[in-house]
Amino acid sequence: MNRMKHILTIVMILSVCFSINVLAQQPPVVIGLQGPLTGAEAIEGEMAKQSVETAAKMVNEKGGVLGGRMIKIEVVDDACQPRAGALAAMKLVSMKEVVAAIATYGSSVTQPASDIYEKFKKVNIAYGATVTHLSERGLQYFFRTCGRTDTQGIFFAEEVVPYFKAKRVAIMHDNTSFALGLAEEARNAALAVGNIDVVYFDAITPGESDYTVPLTKLRETNPEVFYFTGYFPEAGLIIRQAREIGIDAVFVGGDAAINEDFIRIAGLEYAAGCYMTQEALIEYFTNPEAMEFKAKYQEAYGSLPSSPWPVYAADALMVLAEAIDKSGSTDSEALVNYLKNEMTEFPSITGPIGFDEKGDRVGTGINLYVVNTDGNYSIVKI
Amino acid sequence: MKIIIEQLLNGLTIGSFYSLIAMGYSMVYGVMKLINFAHGDFFTFGSYLGYTLLVMGISYVTSTLGVWGGMIAAMLIAAIGTGILGIVVERIAYRPIYPAGRLPAVVSALGASIFIQNAIMVIWGPRPQAYTSEVIPGYILNIAGFRINILQIIILLLSFLLMGILYYIVQKTTFGAAIRASALDRETAALMGININLIIFFIFALGPALGGTAGVMVGMYYRKISFIMGWNFGLKAFTATILGGIGNIPGAMIGGLILGVLEMLGSTYVSTAYKDVFVFLVLILVLIFRPTGILGEKIAEKV
Repeated sequence: MNRMKHILTIVMILSVCFSINVLAQQPPVVIGLQGPLTGAEAIEGEMAKQSVETAAKMVNEKGGVLGGRMIKIEVVDDACQPRAGALAAMKLVSMKEVVAAIATYGSSVTQPASDIYEKFKKVNIAYGATVTHLSERGLQYFFRTCGRTDTQGIFFAEEVVPYFKAKRVAIMHDNTSFALGLAEEARNAALAVGNIDVVYFDAITPGESDYTVPLTKLRETNPEVFYFTGYFPEAGLIIRQAREIGIDAVFVGGDAAINEDFIRIAGLEYAAGCYMTQEALIEYFTNPEAMEFKAKYQEAYGSLPSSPWPVYAADALMVLAEAIDKSGSTDSEALVNYLKNEMTEFPSITGPIGFDEKGDRVGTGINLYVVNTDGNYSIVKI
Repeated sequence: MKIIIEQLLNGLTIGSFYSLIAMGYSMVYGVMKLINFAHGDFFTFGSYLGYTLLVMGISYVTSTLGVWGGMIAAMLIAAIGTGILGIVVERIAYRPIYPAGRLPAVVSALGASIFIQNAIMVIWGPRPQAYTSEVIPGYILNIAGFRINILQIIILLLSFLLMGILYYIVQKTTFGAAIRASALDRETAALMGININLIIFFIFALGPALGGTAGVMVGMYYRKISFIMGWNFGLKAFTATILGGIGNIPGAMIGGLILGVLEMLGSTYVSTAYKDVFVFLVLILVLIFRPTGILGEKIAEKV
C-alpha cells in the first residue's frame, strides 16, 4: 500500500513536470529586428537591440502572448546601408518563424527593406525612418512608431524661427534621404510661412573631418539661425568649426543631432546653447510603461538610451506583441487589420499609439531642446 | 582675399596630414614594392592610442605633464605604439608571403586593413570618440580679422619638422643611402652587404610611426575620431603618394601638401560636393600624363 502511494506520488510529480515541460515547449513567437549593428551608426543599432530586448522582457514577464508563448528576438545587421538593408530584410523574410519585423533605423535603408517586406507580406515597423514619402507609397505592411520629417520641418519654420525672432535662415544637410528630406521640408515650410529668407541651402559630405569650406561659404551669407539636419558626429564637428571661423548664428540641430556624443565632439563650451528640434527623449516620460522600461533598461545596461529612436523600436515590439495577442494570430493580414483599425491609444512606452491608413503613428510631439551649460538638455517652452 | 588665405592655411594643414601618412606609403612601396593598404589603419590606431592616453588617462597625463606636455607625450607614445604595430603586421601578414609575389602581399595588406579596423572597433567601440576640450583647449587667435587656430600652426611646424628629419635621414646619412639603394634594387643591395632585414624593420617602424603621429594630430585638430577614418585619409594619402611619385620621399611630402591645398581651393571655388571628385581627377590625370608622378624617378633607371 505504502509502495503504491510512492509510485502514485512519483507519477503525479512526473506528470506535473511533464505538463510544465509542455507549456515551456510552446514555440516562442519570433520577431525580427533589423538595425545598424556595425558601421557609423552602430551605436543606434546596439541601443535598439537593448531596448527591444528590454521590451520583450516586459512582455514575457507578464506571461508572453497567445496564452503563454514567449517573445524571441532575431537580430539582423544592416550597417545603415541600403544594400545591406535589402539583404538583411531578405534574411528575415527567409526565416519562416519570424512573424513580423522591426525595421529599421535609417530612412535610406528602410526604403528598399520595406519593399522587400511588402513583397513577402510581412508587417514591418520602422523606428527611426522619418522621411515623409516612405508612407506615401501605398504600402500595406509598412508602419512606423516614429514621426515624419514634415511635422518637424513645419515645427522649425512655424515655431522655432519666430521664437528667435529671426529672418535669415541657413539650412545644411548631408544628402542622406533623412537629412535632405528634413531640410527640404523645413525650407518648404519656411517659404510657406513667408517673412523668412532661406539664405543658404546646401549639402556636406558625411564622414569627413573638415567642413570649413562649406562653413566659410555659409558665413558669408550671414544667417541668424543655422539649421543642420544631419547626424551627430558631423553636427559636433560642424558647430565647433563654425564657431572657430566666427559664425555666431543660433545653431539648431535636427533630431539626428541630439546625442551625448554631440557634446563630447563639439566640446561643452560650444555645445552649450545649441538647440535641437527633437522627439521627446525617454527620460522625460513618466507614464507607467515608460517607468518600467527605464527601470529595466537601467538595471540591465547601466544608463538610458541616449537618443529617442531605440525607444521607438521598443514601442514597435510592444505594439506587435499587443496586436499578436489581441488578434490571436501571427498572420500578417490579421496584424495589419488590427494595427490599422482596432489599435487606438494603446498605452506604449512613449505614450498612446495608434496608426492611420498609411501606417504612420497618430500623435507624436516635437519639442525644442537646448543644451545647458552642465551638458544636459532641457525643453524650451515655445 | 580673406577666404583664400584662410583656406590656404586649412589646405596646408590637411595637406600636412596627408604628407605624413603618404611618407609611410612611399617608403614601404619604395623598398618592398608593396602598397601597404593597412597604412591608413595604422593612422587610426595611432589616433586611438593618443585618445587612450589623453582622454581616458586624463587625470594622470595632463596633471603630471601639463596640456602641451600631455599632447607631446601622446604623440610620442602613439608613434612608438604604431611603430610596433607596423613591425608586428609586417611579421605576421607580409613576411611569410613575400616569396609568393606582389599581388598576394597586396591582398594580405587589404586583409590586415580590415582586421585592424575591426579590432579598433571592438576595443574602443563603434561610436566616434572625441579628444575632449578638457585635454585639448581651443586657442583661436584673432589677427587683423583672420581667425587662426594655434594648433594649426603647431601642427604645420611639427609635421615640417618630422618630414625634415626623415628627409635628412634618407638623403644625407649612410643608412639613408642604404635605404635608397634597397629601393633601387633589393637583391643587388643585399649582395653589396646591406642588411635588408634591418632596412625593412626600419621602414615598417618609421612609416607607421609617422602615420600614428598624424593620427594624434588629426584628433587634436578635429576632435572627432572614428574607427573608419583611416580609409578616407589613407586613400587621399595614397593619391598624394602617386601625385608626388611613388617611392619618392620628397615627392610624398609635396604631393600631400599640393593635394590638401587643391582640395580646399577646389571645394571653395568649384563645389564642396565635388571635393573628392577633384582629388581623384588629379590622380587620373597624373596617371595618364605623368605616371611616375611629379618627382618620380625616370623608368629608364630601372632598366
